[in-house]
Amino acid sequence: MLRFFASRLLQSLLALLIIITATFFMLRFVPGGPFTAEKAVTPEILRNLEAHYGLDQPLWKQYLDYLGSLARGDFGPSFKYPNRTVNEILGDKLPVSIELGFLSLVVALLMGLPLGILAAIRRNTWIDYVSSSFGMMGISIPTFVVGPLLVLAFAIHAGWFNASGWYSPMDRVLPCLVLGIAYAAPIARLTRGGMLEILNQDFIRTARAKGASELRVVFKHSLRGGLLPVVSFLGPAIAGILTGSFVIETIFQIPGLGREFVNSAFNRDYTLVLGTVILYAGLIMGLNLAADLTQAWMNPKVRLEG
Amino acid sequence: MATLAAPAASPPTPPADQIEHGSSLWHDAWLRLRKNRVAVFGAVTLVIVAVACFLGPLFSPYGYEDQNLDLGASSPSLQHPLGTDTLGRDLLVRLLYGGRVSLGVGLAATFVALTIGVVYGAVAGYFGNKTDAVMMRIVDIMYSLPFTIFVILLMVFFGRNIILLFVAIGAVEWLTMARIVRGQVMAVKRMEFIEAARALGFGKRRLIFRHILPNVLGPIIVYTTLTIPGVMLLEAFLSFLGLGVQPPMSSWGVLIKDGAEKMEEFPWLLVFPGTVFSLTLFSLNFLGDGLRDALDVRSSKD
Repeated sequence: MLRFFASRLLQSLLALLIIITATFFMLRFVPGGPFTAEKAVTPEILRNLEAHYGLDQPLWKQYLDYLGSLARGDFGPSFKYPNRTVNEILGDKLPVSIELGFLSLVVALLMGLPLGILAAIRRNTWIDYVSSSFGMMGISIPTFVVGPLLVLAFAIHAGWFNASGWYSPMDRVLPCLVLGIAYAAPIARLTRGGMLEILNQDFIRTARAKGASELRVVFKHSLRGGLLPVVSFLGPAIAGILTGSFVIETIFQIPGLGREFVNSAFNRDYTLVLGTVILYAGLIMGLNLAADLTQAWMNPKVRLEG
Repeated sequence: MATLAAPAASPPTPPADQIEHGSSLWHDAWLRLRKNRVAVFGAVTLVIVAVACFLGPLFSPYGYEDQNLDLGASSPSLQHPLGTDTLGRDLLVRLLYGGRVSLGVGLAATFVALTIGVVYGAVAGYFGNKTDAVMMRIVDIMYSLPFTIFVILLMVFFGRNIILLFVAIGAVEWLTMARIVRGQVMAVKRMEFIEAARALGFGKRRLIFRHILPNVLGPIIVYTTLTIPGVMLLEAFLSFLGLGVQPPMSSWGVLIKDGAEKMEEFPWLLVFPGTVFSLTLFSLNFLGDGLRDALDVRSSKD
């Protein structure tokens, strides 16, 4: 188990380094710089600015300096917001995105798991059909269609919610529902598939033959094996929820990391782009690792192959 | 397959004859697919949408960029069946033109993903051992990368270039295809007819492309059908963030974005593009699922 963990951790760190390097050099080679948009910057001022941020140094030195400060946990100063560091900006925005992502995941699990389990137990009944049509809808109707439609119906016409903003607890309902439903659909589908596979196995028949109640068969005997596909989907799902929040944050005008990332890319704010990419990559890979470990813990077969 | 060939073939050959020549696997699959009502519905809808998008604009008096500022945004009427947007442009025409872009991106980017994924997966699966281990570890690492973020960066930095859009999306979507093809190739390459072909002295390239790949076509077709909606979603996602095609051109993502901004006063601007886009995705997913059942492909994901 420890070896498995170590090899995965090493792999993630390597990938993270690749991401940092690739993003760093890509940023330097694209047309336009952080100060090109500013009006009337004389060449002298530009030189001073570049000297101030170390942009006049050779590229390899900038790169090593950046890695050095990263190792100390310092993402550097923002180029567009002169008085703020990237750490401060990320510290402001990250909690919002985490809250949005976490609540959406809870919604997705609370809707997806019961639907999937019910569909598997009552296979080929109306519950199964309702569940799979719901799944198809979740896959085929994108969040940027569902989101505005729900706003139109429940915020603008019914007036139950605010159309945008992130202030009161009520403001959380629509965004998290929209993002959650999108992931409840594949979760329901995977749960149904996983549960069906387990429910058809001999040891379940044995359990039934011994007179175990249906509840016991489902929760005690099948759930652990049946949920394996869901657990391995959680890593990609969380990554999808994090990037999906770009759209949600745009629709509902939520001051989260996703908006900030897109803006910083438009502004060529090198350090802020890098910081956001690193943070996202680190989060996604960390959560993927956690999902892998959970899977290994639940299923010894995976552990041995790792 | 058989029906496609039948009208073009010369009359003396009866269609039934052709079917017997074809492999029975494909014939069975065709029969199974035809019985699947939702899949047929999906296929028919797709054909209608595609034909409408590519031929429809020819019969319209309006162009996608013809403005009518006096008219402004008008609700659906006889002159403009789906209404007009705030610049007085006919929504139906813009929807059809947008469909060309969305469907075009869907097909082109899927083709990129298909090509990379199939070649990569086939090579890894055929050579196995160390080659396979290294190649698939690379895929594993790439799976964990936040690719959507990279695509966004690319689109911001290098402008909203439609060719770049194909390549960027294709580069993201090939990973799963590579995994699927690799698994299939591994299973097929151990079979006797491959052994026989090798004994005849065929080269590796010929073995892979002429003998192995045709036998793993089923999963490739199914997964391709299911990749198209994913690609179209990604394109619309980028357009929604303002990173898609340039105005005055439109795509379904762009129309949905514009509609969402103005839905309070002019809800039809959101409702029609949203409906058409979702309907197309539904159809593709239904067709993909139907093909999966018809070709009896077992995916590890279900």
